[in-house]
Amino acid sequence: MGDGLSLSAIIMLIFGATICYGGLAYFLYRAMKGRKK
Amino acid sequence: MILEFSVGHWSKSAPPETFQKIGKKWEWAGWWSSLVPFVITAYYVIVMAWCFAYIIYAIDLRWGANAEHFFLTTFLGVTEGPMTIGGISIPALLALIIMWVLIFIILYKGVSRIGKVVVITVPLACILFVLLAIRGLTLPGAVDGVSYYLTPDFSRLVDVNVWLAAYAQVFFSLSLAQGIMISYASYLKKKSDISNNAFITALADSGISFLAGFAVFSIVGYLALMQGVGIESLGISGPALTFITYPTAISLFPVAPILFGILFYIALFTFGLDSAFSMVEPITAGIHHKWKISKEKTTGFVCIAGFLTSLIFVTGSGLHWLEIVDHFISDFGLVLIGLVECLIIGWAFQISKFRLHANDVSDVRIGRWWDILIKFVVPAILIFILIMSVYNLIVTPSNYPWWALLLGGVAPCGIIFLLSFVFMKLKGKTEAKNG
Repeated sequence: MGDGLSLSAIIMLIFGATICYGGLAYFLYRAMKGRKK
Repeated sequence: MILEFSVGHWSKSAPPETFQKIGKKWEWAGWWSSLVPFVITAYYVIVMAWCFAYIIYAIDLRWGANAEHFFLTTFLGVTEGPMTIGGISIPALLALIIMWVLIFIILYKGVSRIGKVVVITVPLACILFVLLAIRGLTLPGAVDGVSYYLTPDFSRLVDVNVWLAAYAQVFFSLSLAQGIMISYASYLKKKSDISNNAFITALADSGISFLAGFAVFSIVGYLALMQGVGIESLGISGPALTFITYPTAISLFPVAPILFGILFYIALFTFGLDSAFSMVEPITAGIHHKWKISKEKTTGFVCIAGFLTSLIFVTGSGLHWLEIVDHFISDFGLVLIGLVECLIIGWAFQISKFRLHANDVSDVRIGRWWDILIKFVVPAILIFILIMSVYNLIVTPSNYPWWALLLGGVAPCGIIFLLSFVFMKLKGKTEAKNG
């Protein structure tokens, strides 16, 4: 207890956040770009 | 998601009419995928009703020092098994009535009111979860909870039940195989981007779930630290997490436990409400379109039928029946409908038509690989998972007697399946307009 996040947890955190929020930002950007056209 | 968006956008109709357009003999599949979410709503609404009651209970932290006793005995009066019906929980019943009235008010005016409600409830719930995550992550022990949440156990990848639960969760969370996305996509504008909307919906859903994990597990970690126990020993799934573990942790908050208790249950309630009315919409739209009955009457009829079905879940045996029905309907029913959808659309219709339809209006184009996915890969995976899960269900001893599984699990699935054919055979008003 209290040892902080393990390496595999940190990797999953980065992986999950990149896929979910990076992907969402990318497709929202494309949608907004498409709307401007 | 792309498939259901394309199908709904192409047909501009409720699920039964959509499948009828694909092939007259397939109308039952549309009714089937509309009836299943209706049954899910019947027990889903009761969980929302509990959340609603807990918003009020959080005002004075009514569960006190023993949240388990309060939830199971004081609030629900849970009996020892499904055979003993027990009494009716009056607070749960009152909250249930409020839930169904709310669903009726939101749905009877049609899709425009749904939009107005969602514009408020979705951002509100997201903001609340961000607040709860921040609060949780600043508590002692939060790192242990988050570590438990994020540390992968790759050995579980060989467990077929994990894959079934994962598929069922994805179907449930994204509202797939429930006619919901077909219904909603039928309201999209002609030029709406299908692929991009599908990606945004799926990623936003996953993003919110990912965030909610931090809000929940940071607080579970805090509770484990306060009680000096391991996280595994706490109830971290199903109703136990929401109504026993979480309230226990909230009571131990050093600052503003009442405020965070109220915020947590409001967040759950608002998300639940959005899901509940979306699950009622396909069957309402299907009946409305086929028999040209007014939206008000159809919604009223469906809500009353839903309320009557929900009544079993406010009894002392409700929690047992909820577990049984949920296991069969969400784990098997949705996966089975997903499989049937792929087979009908992939094999009885030209799947490439839907791909081309999506590509016509979409910024992100999908290739032929998508046809192969829908026709071969997804059905093969779903068939394998279903066979293995049925095998496991037979060989693994259950907590419940066989007749309870038959009555609460197999029978509802069978009745829904038969009703789909009955609805198809009943003569509708053929002059019904599309959309």
